[in-house]
Amino acid sequence: MSHWLLLAAKSAWNRRLTLGLTVLAVALSVVLLLGVERVRSDAREGFTQSVSGTDLIVGARTSAVQLMLYTVFRIGEATNNMRWDAYQELARHPLIAWTIPLSLGDSHRGFPVLGTTPGYFEHFRYGDSRPLAFAAGKPFAELFDAVLGAQVAEALGYRMGDRIVLSHGIGGIGLPEHADKPFVVSGILQRTGTPVDRTVHVSLAAIQAIHLDWQGGAPVPGFSIPAQYVRKFDLTPKEITAALIGLHSRAAVFKMQRYIDDYKGEPLMAVLPGVALDELWRVVGVAENTLLAVSGMVVLVGLTGLVAVVLAGLNERRREIAVLRAVGASPRGIFLLLTTEGLLVTALGCVLGILLLLALTVAAAPLAQSRYGVALHPRVISLAELRLLALVIAVGVLASLIPGYRAYRLSLADGLAPRL
Amino acid sequence: MAAVTAPIAELDKVVFRWSARDAACLDIERFALSPGERVFLHGPSGSGKSTLLGLLGGVLVQERGSVRVLGQSLEKLGAASRDRFRADHVGFIFQQFNLIPYLSAIENVMLPCRFSARRARLSADAARLMSRLDLDPSLHHRLAMQLSVGQQQRVAAARALIGRPELVIADEPTSSLDAERQRIFLDLLLHQCAEADATLLFVSHDHRLAGAFDREVALASINRAYERREAA
Amino acid sequence: MPRLAFLLPLALSALLGTASATDEYRVGDRLPQAKAKPDAKSSYQTIRWEALVPEGWDPARDLRGINLAMLNDGDRRATEALEKMKKAWDEAPVEPAWNGQRVRLPGFVVPLERVKEDVTEFLLVPYFGACIHVPPPPANQIIHVFPAKPVKNLRTMDAVWVIGVLDTTRSEALKGGNEAMGMAVAGYRMTAEQISPYKGPAR
Repeated sequence: MSHWLLLAAKSAWNRRLTLGLTVLAVALSVVLLLGVERVRSDAREGFTQSVSGTDLIVGARTSAVQLMLYTVFRIGEATNNMRWDAYQELARHPLIAWTIPLSLGDSHRGFPVLGTTPGYFEHFRYGDSRPLAFAAGKPFAELFDAVLGAQVAEALGYRMGDRIVLSHGIGGIGLPEHADKPFVVSGILQRTGTPVDRTVHVSLAAIQAIHLDWQGGAPVPGFSIPAQYVRKFDLTPKEITAALIGLHSRAAVFKMQRYIDDYKGEPLMAVLPGVALDELWRVVGVAENTLLAVSGMVVLVGLTGLVAVVLAGLNERRREIAVLRAVGASPRGIFLLLTTEGLLVTALGCVLGILLLLALTVAAAPLAQSRYGVALHPRVISLAELRLLALVIAVGVLASLIPGYRAYRLSLADGLAPRL
Repeated sequence: MAAVTAPIAELDKVVFRWSARDAACLDIERFALSPGERVFLHGPSGSGKSTLLGLLGGVLVQERGSVRVLGQSLEKLGAASRDRFRADHVGFIFQQFNLIPYLSAIENVMLPCRFSARRARLSADAARLMSRLDLDPSLHHRLAMQLSVGQQQRVAAARALIGRPELVIADEPTSSLDAERQRIFLDLLLHQCAEADATLLFVSHDHRLAGAFDREVALASINRAYERREAA
Repeated sequence: MPRLAFLLPLALSALLGTASATDEYRVGDRLPQAKAKPDAKSSYQTIRWEALVPEGWDPARDLRGINLAMLNDGDRRATEALEKMKKAWDEAPVEPAWNGQRVRLPGFVVPLERVKEDVTEFLLVPYFGACIHVPPPPANQIIHVFPAKPVKNLRTMDAVWVIGVLDTTRSEALKGGNEAMGMAVAGYRMTAEQISPYKGPAR
């Protein structure tokens, strides 16, 4: 068996230009297939890890998935807000242990700004019930304090004490700025691998303060309240976007959900994060599977190319096969030789694909983190990816049977002296 | 005259046709090789030469009659066994394209040893055999496709002789060489076959080489199928 | 070759396990169970959800007393009685005798906590769709399950058999601790040793 392997290797090396291109084709298709799986799995993991220990998310009545997306992942925008007094009444409910109000809508150089209370840093959990930790500083104490997520600080090079200006709206460029009310970086959080990293956290009062002299999304001309006077005004928020809720007993979650859904004061909805996530995966799952199927097709295309290349080269190799027959090779041995070649090329393509994917993951990880808050883990290969790879190799072996069989038939027909 | 020793190879009343519809392409009453004999077989193309060599090599199986090599009736063996038998006992040299182009000269010479344990055991120093065939050591590790035709033929001869097979079949081995190299090659081959105690069946269309052999046979005359075809 | 091309997406789908349990059930469906029979050999009891309700607890008691045919439309008493029933539902007590008992029963999953993609905490409810549109189950018909090992491939409203040890102590502690809370907050807790997909009432 080993001499067939050696022979196949040397034979393949002899035709390394054409086979090399085939290896590349297989490698690229493997990159696509495994890449799709890797992004899918890492995105899911990232999303799942983004919230922990929160029993309900409350917001204006919209779709459960949408509510989850913008409160936890800061993706998309809220269509409606909930009133502050409705939130307060809710927070007084005896079943509730803690609440975290959230206010979204502003941004800073592309990163979303979250208005909340210091309770956020106390109650919010992610991953495996992990609390937020500070790399530097502490939660906001002063009105215009800001706490930065790790990604924001790193990407924009901010340090403690730096001044930043918030923009109105989510977008990136060309947004109106709250230039007269700059914030001071009072804390920087440690990296979490969740959308927290790319968020700028400020107090609810501060959100209210910067919008005091704004009306309908733009500053009122000729009417501005300088930063030092804002404290004279009532900075209680009128509205918030959503709230996170923790209960004394998790089993009471249905009852609480019912209560919020039936709340007469305002159209509200409450969402269980785990359930909403499953719904998101159900919706996204169709696209995921389609992508995976398409990638599978591409792999098939690559392997078909391999079969075509080997088959095309078979005619030239009839003399070589006759020589092997003369020294005692059986037609079955010839079959083995050709099939082994195909297997070698497939295996090489897979290995190259894994390495290429690793390089790509390393290159793309910072982008995925900054844009979507999804942490792509550069790893050689995961279990799920290994299963896919095994499938690719199995199909590669099956495909290699075709030139193997053809060579088998040729060797039988040609005997010792092929008529060429 | 009764033969003192058993023939190395013999064909008895052998008939071969490619398919049921075809006329027989080989019909031989008797053809035998004695041990150590050097036989020149005159076989132009179309005389059934390839078929005869295929039968002796166990690659083809006759319709009627018996083909025996070293006393073993080849038709009684399964295909895989015939392949093994060929590997163990027969060395082949062809007119051209004898070698695996991407293997080195010495790797080509050693090829039969991968398929025959017997020859692997009996293979003395391959390098020495190659030197005796006038192949300089500097050529040993060169890839076969980088050798000249003359060098390739000598490598093929070494490969046919390694591990002391009992029968060496050479099919037009000199036809691609010029006259002078033909002579040299023939001398080397005959010499090494004698050294290895191998029986040599040398097939060629060139009568001029026949003089160096013990016996000359014309395939056209022993193959009745050829006569019939010519007559038709 | 075309045959292979057709098989691959199918194989991929099988690999990814896309078949969804939620396609089979409608809101309000319960999981059929064979008649509960004592299994002397195993160390657990297979029970039905009704068993978790203490004897004599009847939240519809007040409603039963009223002859609905005799009331006018919109009669206050009917609405009040319904409200009382709903309140009783919310305060549904647990049966302390179940504490420490090893049981087995089927239900639907509502995931609460996940680590990576494996579920580490979930609620088990008796009927499908317990978190949408329909009234939530009474407190003694919800089990807060803590699997011994994180469970793979568990999605909302998956139907499963769970085997584990029940715990009623926390409920008692909460009820006793806070008068102002009024409503009972905890139902049953369970440390689950085994969670397997539900495939039919047999066994």
